Formats: sequence, C-alpha cells, structure tokens
Amino acid sequence: MRRLGRWWTEPLPMARFAVFRVVVYLFIPVDVLLTTPWVAWHADVPTELYQPLVVGGLLNLPLPTRLVVLGVQWALIVTALLAATGRSPRLLGALVFLLYFEWMVIAMSYGKVDHDRFAFLVALAVLPTVGVARWRDRGRSEAAGWALRCVQVAVVLTYFFAAWAKVRFGGWDWVTGATLTRAVIRRGTMWADWTLDVPNLLVGAQWLLLGFELLSPLILLARSGRARVAVVAFLLGFHLMTYAAITIIFLPHVVALLSMLPWERLRRVTEDSAEDSGDAGAASGTPSSPVSAPGGRPDR
Amino acid sequence: MRVAATDRDTTLGTTGRAVRLLAAAVVLVLATAGTVWGQDSAFPFGPFRMYSTRSGTDVPVNSTRIDAITAAGVRGPIADADTGLRRAEIEGQLPRLIADPSLLELIAQSYVRRNPDRPPLIRIEIVVRRYELRAGAATGQYSDTVLAAWDADDTTPEPVP
Repeated sequence: MRRLGRWWTEPLPMARFAVFRVVVYLFIPVDVLLTTPWVAWHADVPTELYQPLVVGGLLNLPLPTRLVVLGVQWALIVTALLAATGRSPRLLGALVFLLYFEWMVIAMSYGKVDHDRFAFLVALAVLPTVGVARWRDRGRSEAAGWALRCVQVAVVLTYFFAAWAKVRFGGWDWVTGATLTRAVIRRGTMWADWTLDVPNLLVGAQWLLLGFELLSPLILLARSGRARVAVVAFLLGFHLMTYAAITIIFLPHVVALLSMLPWERLRRVTEDSAEDSGDAGAASGTPSSPVSAPGGRPDR
Repeated sequence: MRVAATDRDTTLGTTGRAVRLLAAAVVLVLATAGTVWGQDSAFPFGPFRMYSTRSGTDVPVNSTRIDAITAAGVRGPIADADTGLRRAEIEGQLPRLIADPSLLELIAQSYVRRNPDRPPLIRIEIVVRRYELRAGAATGQYSDTVLAAWDADDTTPEPVP
C-alpha cells in the first residue's frame, strides 16, 4: 500500500506537467467548435427529448435550453483559453472542469453515452490541483506526479474497463461475434469496406482488440522516456487506424494519452542552443549547473 | 502575478498526499462499480460499453436513418446535423419514439431551428435498414422497415407497423 502510494505520487518534471496542461486547455476550443460539433446541436433540440443522467438529477442541473447550451459553450471556450495562459491555475482550472462536466452532461443526455472522455475529465479534474507550473521549471513535483499518474491510470482504465464491458454485455464469445462487421457495415469507410469480404479477418481483429485491452495495465510499466514514447506511438496508431476504418476517434482520450510524453525535453531542446550543454540525461531532472537565469530570458 | 521558473523540487505534505490518494481511490472505486454494475445513466462512472454487445454472425445488422418529405415535396434522408441528434441518439430513444410517434414532431421542430431557410418537414419516418449476414459476412441483401412515422397535419399516433 505504501509502495502504491509512493508510485502514485512519484515526483515528475514540473515542465512536463506545465506543457501537458496547456495542451489540454487549448484542445477544449478545438473539441467544442470543431471535432465534437454535435454537442452544440443540442441547443436546437426541444428539451422534451432530454433524457437526464443520474448525475443531472442528483446535482439538479438545469434543463439544457438553447440559452443554457450556448451559455455553457462560450463560457467554457473563454475560460479554457484563459486557463491556457497559466494564470490563476486553481480557480480557472476548477471553472473549466465544472463547465466541461456540464458540457458533457449536455452531450450524453439524449439517448447515447460515449466513453471516450473519462481520462480527459480526470485530467481536467486534477490539473487545477498543482498550482503554478511553467514549462521552463526544472524541478520535479510530487503534486504534478500525482496528477499525471491519475491521467495515465484513467487512460489505461478506459481500455481495461472497455474489455470488462465486452465480457459483461457481450460475453466471452464477444470475440467470435460480428461486432466489428456490424461497425463496418454501419460506418465503414473506403479503407475498411474490403474487410467485410474476409469475415475471419474481423474476428481476428476482435481477438487482438480484447487481448490488448485486457493487457493494457502493462502500459503503466513503461518507465523510460523511450518506452513511453513507443507506447504513445502504438496507441496513436491504433486510434488512427480505427478512425480510418469507421471514422471514430477518441480524440479527448488521445489528448489525455499525451500526458505520458516527456514534454520536459522541449525545454532542453530550446536550451541546448543556449548556454546549457550536456546533461540531457533523463534520470535526475536536476541540471548539473544552475546556469539558467530565468529573469534574463524572455518568458517564452 | 509573475512567477519565475523554479529549479526546486517540491514534495507533498502528509495531508496533501493523503487527500490526493483518497480522491484517487474514491474515483477508482466508483469507476469500477460503474463498470461492474452500472448502466449508461451513471455517466461519468458508467460502463465503458461502446461496441461491447455481441452481434450474432447470422443476425441482420440494423442501421437506422430518418427519412423525410419537405413542404416542397422532396423526399430523402435527413443528416444528423439537420435534426441536431446523432443516429445513435435516435436509436437510444427508439422505444419511446415507436411508442409515441407524435414525438417526431420535436425532430421537425429542431429541423426548422437548424435550417430556418429550408422548407419545413411535413412527414418524418424512422427507417431501419437490415443488412443480411451469413456466417459473419454481408450477403449484400437488405430490407427497409418504417418503425415510426409522423405527418405534419395529423398528430395522431400511427399504429406501429
């Protein structure tokens, strides 16, 4: 138990956290306006078609009238952009989380619930807990470590629990069924339609998918920067392939996945050209000589 | 407030660590419970069930769409963006819409809101296309069935076919 606690709060580079946080907040306007436009469509849907979730009743959330939907939409975009500047990270971060949560309630309360946003919601919930973080920070932080670890665990759980749901709702013989065939018939692209002529191919893909999802906790064992980059590349490949086949991509989940990347190296890359030389080694994170004089450099 | 970049490592206090670990444990328990026992309505702690049901290899694949006739007399399928509801959302509410087809008038209303410059809809049909499967492969055969229909001037529910 103690070891688990130590693992979960292992200090990680503040710079990694800082970059990830900006990426998450900047993704929100993209998500709301471009990649998930159908949430805002609900502004035009009569509220009689609203099918409240349990949480909507528990928290007494308002009926998603046109005014509520558009109000939440623009408040969310503005707050996320402000939060991306790094100012008042706790206050603005908490507001972004609450607004995005309500945005998701508006999204999922019309008869269909997606599960591509669990890790992204966890990310939004934990980002405000770290306080001020800058991408030029050289230190490590246990608070940042906890937050990044939470996001990674949520990413892994999204895969692992998806396998669990397949066994729960589909049974162990889910793998021999026609679930992927059904998906390709309903939403297959020109890149996927040929697979329908090879039925065993999609059954094989179902075996691979369930196997990968069940083994996904191994992702958390990737310790070195190189291993984590490889894991992220593999997972991105998986999601891009899915997108090419049936135009479904878990984009918020993919953004959460980026929490695994060693973003702190961006700082090293930019500083290598300046006075910092050597010591790009991954382990300590503490520079060998404290040559940086932050006040002497432009902040960006 | 301007804070300079820092070289310092920072640690958590006993309380800060305990609260964080407790919060993580609570979310973990809720997510696990939702996966084991929950339904969709438990979002964000519901089961991660996209594509979790098993489709039989000889059971037809259903694909639902909305067909409509506009006041200009044009008949055709209506896109998700025109009704404000995704296909999966229509399918999620299908039992309700079949039981009371007059609810389709709500879809006509959102069509008008989303397309104020186009002629309104005078008839809406929810159609399911069933693609035949044999041993997991599509045979190329399909059939269309109207599950629910609504007419603009006649709001009395039609019998379920």
